[in-house]
Amino acid sequence: MFTFTEEQEMLRKVIREFVEAEVAPKAQEWDEANHCPVELFPMLGEMGIVGTFVPEEYGGAGLGFMERSICLEELARHSAGLAITVMAHQLCMGGILNFGSEEQKKKYLPDLATGKKVGSLSLTEATGGSNFMGQKSTGEYKDWQWVINGRKCFITNSHLADVDLWTVITGQNEKGKPIMTAFIIDKDTPGHTAGRTEHKLGLCSSNTGDVSCVNVKLSPQQMLSQEGDGPKIALSTIQEVGRAGMSAICLGILRGCLEESVKFSNERIIYGKPLNKLMNIQFAIAENKLDYESAKLLTYRAASMKDKGLPCACEFALAKYAGNEGAIRAAKRTIDMMGGYGVINEYPIGRFLRDTLAGSTAGGTSDILKVVIAAETLKG
Amino acid sequence: MALNIAVCIKSVPDPKWYEKITIDIKTKTITRKGIPSIINPVDKNALEAALQLKEQYGGKVTVLCMAPPGAKNELYEAMAMGADEAALLSDLAFAGADTLATSYTLAQGLNKLGKFDLVLTGTESADGATAQVPAQLAEWLKIPHLWNVKEFVLVTEQEIHAKVKMDDAVGEYVIQLPALLAVSREVNKPRYTTAMGVMKARKKTLTILSKNDLELNESLIGQVGSPTWSGDISIPSLARKGQELKGTPEEIVTQLITKLRAAGINPAKRREGDDK
Amino acid sequence: MKHQGIWVVAEQTVSGISRVSFELLAKARELKERGRVQAPVTAVLLGEKLDDYYSAKLKEAGAEAIILIDHPALRYFQNETYATVLKALAEQRQPSIILMGATAAGSDLAPTLGAKLRTGVSAHCVDMRLNEEGHLVAVVPAFGGKVLGDILCTNFRPQIATVRPGILGKVICYMNQECPIEQFDITEILAQDQGRVKAIGITYEEMKGVPLEEAELVVAGGFGIESKEIWQQLETLAAVLGGAVGCTRPPLDEGWAKECQMIGTSGKSVRPKVYIGMGISGATHHICGMKDAGLVISINKDEKSPIFDVSDIRITADAAAILPLLIEGLQKNEDDVIC
Repeated sequence: MFTFTEEQEMLRKVIREFVEAEVAPKAQEWDEANHCPVELFPMLGEMGIVGTFVPEEYGGAGLGFMERSICLEELARHSAGLAITVMAHQLCMGGILNFGSEEQKKKYLPDLATGKKVGSLSLTEATGGSNFMGQKSTGEYKDWQWVINGRKCFITNSHLADVDLWTVITGQNEKGKPIMTAFIIDKDTPGHTAGRTEHKLGLCSSNTGDVSCVNVKLSPQQMLSQEGDGPKIALSTIQEVGRAGMSAICLGILRGCLEESVKFSNERIIYGKPLNKLMNIQFAIAENKLDYESAKLLTYRAASMKDKGLPCACEFALAKYAGNEGAIRAAKRTIDMMGGYGVINEYPIGRFLRDTLAGSTAGGTSDILKVVIAAETLKG
Repeated sequence: MALNIAVCIKSVPDPKWYEKITIDIKTKTITRKGIPSIINPVDKNALEAALQLKEQYGGKVTVLCMAPPGAKNELYEAMAMGADEAALLSDLAFAGADTLATSYTLAQGLNKLGKFDLVLTGTESADGATAQVPAQLAEWLKIPHLWNVKEFVLVTEQEIHAKVKMDDAVGEYVIQLPALLAVSREVNKPRYTTAMGVMKARKKTLTILSKNDLELNESLIGQVGSPTWSGDISIPSLARKGQELKGTPEEIVTQLITKLRAAGINPAKRREGDDK
Repeated sequence: MKHQGIWVVAEQTVSGISRVSFELLAKARELKERGRVQAPVTAVLLGEKLDDYYSAKLKEAGAEAIILIDHPALRYFQNETYATVLKALAEQRQPSIILMGATAAGSDLAPTLGAKLRTGVSAHCVDMRLNEEGHLVAVVPAFGGKVLGDILCTNFRPQIATVRPGILGKVICYMNQECPIEQFDITEILAQDQGRVKAIGITYEEMKGVPLEEAELVVAGGFGIESKEIWQQLETLAAVLGGAVGCTRPPLDEGWAKECQMIGTSGKSVRPKVYIGMGISGATHHICGMKDAGLVISINKDEKSPIFDVSDIRITADAAAILPLLIEGLQKNEDDVIC
């Protein structure tokens, strides 16, 4: 039977207490100001929310993906924007953890895991996110250095990151297919700059924008893993760290919708009775609950498989799809239930809808997820 | 100057859930079913004070609780926050205890665990709120105590200077160790428990002590050892019997000021206080 | 049981005697009468420089016998010293009931004394009575006031109970009654005091602004506050009373109050000892945020305001008319009149 361990229950409780005290009161303010509260990172680091799955020897909490999902769900329940900031940071951290040399791990992980430094993963370009092999950024080995040129867009933490993981095309193989390689770029490396900031429909308390490299010169020590490992690094990071994180984040948003709908229908009096006496409202509550519980089981099952070392790309795809689409439905249902209040910004439900819509493209769009699920299912 | 510090905590129903508590007036039972328990909020301030002292002077922090077995969770949470060890005094024979019997049992538990330089507690529990256990515990332990401490400093190995919140005033006291301090929420802001703390907690020692593990005078524990006992209980309705003040505005204000004075609110009465 | 009589341990304050001592004396007289208790209601006062003023006040408030314990060592409250003195006195005289105010000192003294005497203590009673057998029944709240329970201490003596100031409320003037005054000497008792706790001073506090959730007194304003000037008067009232300012939505929308001052389900929950609502109608969501307040005083022009159902004191009037008079009246320095 699937249950959480006592430690996991206690973890959820203490993280929830922290989030309710330090994040919930300010979430709306951050969203309205388009402010990413990256100043909280050291505190999040201390709490173990940032470096949850990084081993203790590198300054992390030494826990697994179950615990990471719990932390992200709790965080996203009140601020999906802050949660995706942490998640994107974990993409960079995960890349270095899983593919970095011992030296690179010792150099970068402690600061990233404790929240002293912020990370990002720069993969997507104007040529497409799902189609990342079609990217145009280049890396050329010249005079014992790698020279990086290119422009990345829709990058979370674009303007905040101290450590930026870039993928570039470094050549072609004998079949003419592109060779993609990953590099670690420190902020303030000459030629590496953040460009425009995007104003998004949702996840407004996360920072998204362009990053470009113009003749950025890197020593070979900055290459992550081997030349040509780019696709492997990108896929595993997006699928296992990114998609996994997004499913927990969407789950948190879903729970927010469920809790708001329950609170409202219990308190609101209409025609002399609480709203919850009306059957159509009860159906809406039931549907919200169904969406939440389904996404919850899918998310934590995938996370427990990951912690056991089992392949779970399809499972995370199912989880993210269920969480994201479920949150969109639940948010709309709750807005409908709340009438005029549903469209007033003082109530978080509108932000929940916007956040989950904005999160649709992170970690795989719903369509891509269906492709992944179908591919796995059709294997028979 | 390593300090051996004990913190007594209580496991209480989460005050946020008080609405859901049901009471059967006929059987005089209070059902706390399904209501989560937490560490009594001000006890966390006591634990935080202990942890800060340990960080400054070295030593050990032990947490103690007298409760049914479920309170293990609260003790693990205290260890997750940073306490080194925990002990749960649990036995059917302890049940039905009033504050005198509870404090006696806690004292015997502390005596069993060792010699403590300092015992810290919160001022009162969120559920019973008698605020009596700290003073009575100190009496059983034969150590001096201060109640409602908002600030304190270890001056020497033997002495603490403390500020105690009085009515509209702050009293300053010197107290000799070993001693018990009941601290209020003003004393500090408790730290958050981290993920790392949660994982470390399971490796720490939690001892469960029953009646037979302690040296006890059985006539002083549980219901037998409780001078006070509960009679009938009732639920007051939210509605209040309002008293109406009538008349001209002047007349109303005169009556209102009298009422305020009766409730102890009288700004005009504050005269010069003495300082020493 | 040979224990007899009701004692009230009165409290000396910088301005005389704490008013709760008088409330308790009135209650003790009531208990005596209803329970047909023979022994005189005795006031016990520990302190320093206890001149005739003190015994006169105690007698006026209902004491039928007074024990004064006057000594420099008692100038400041010290739990160990006070409790040791009272223990010796109680063992000698064997009262049946000892009452004291649940002030900061009383809340510490009562349990300390109770432990020294190995007897029962009922704290923060909201009422008390004597049952048919003559035992004290103390009514105490639990779970934040959601439940009230009777507490008895039938087999142990004395029965000790404390009551918060303002809960009993009633103070009675007694004229022309006999009241022997005794001075109790504590030199021997003090010689044995180990002096492990010493008071070294006391500082009286300026009443200044406190955060809403922690405030002991809250003045809240709502729709009925019709102008910024009146809102400012409300703020002045709060300042005079040393309390915090709360609000409902309308003053917030006007820009007079801040988000963090809103009381209600989407705002803050407050449990002050005293809540004064001005121009607040009492919508459910607001009541949820203040229903556990101690004393609730409401002022509203509309006599049908729902808030009156949860108020201890109702005033149907315009807050604008009440505010200036209240501010002025509170600041008048009047002598402490009992009646």
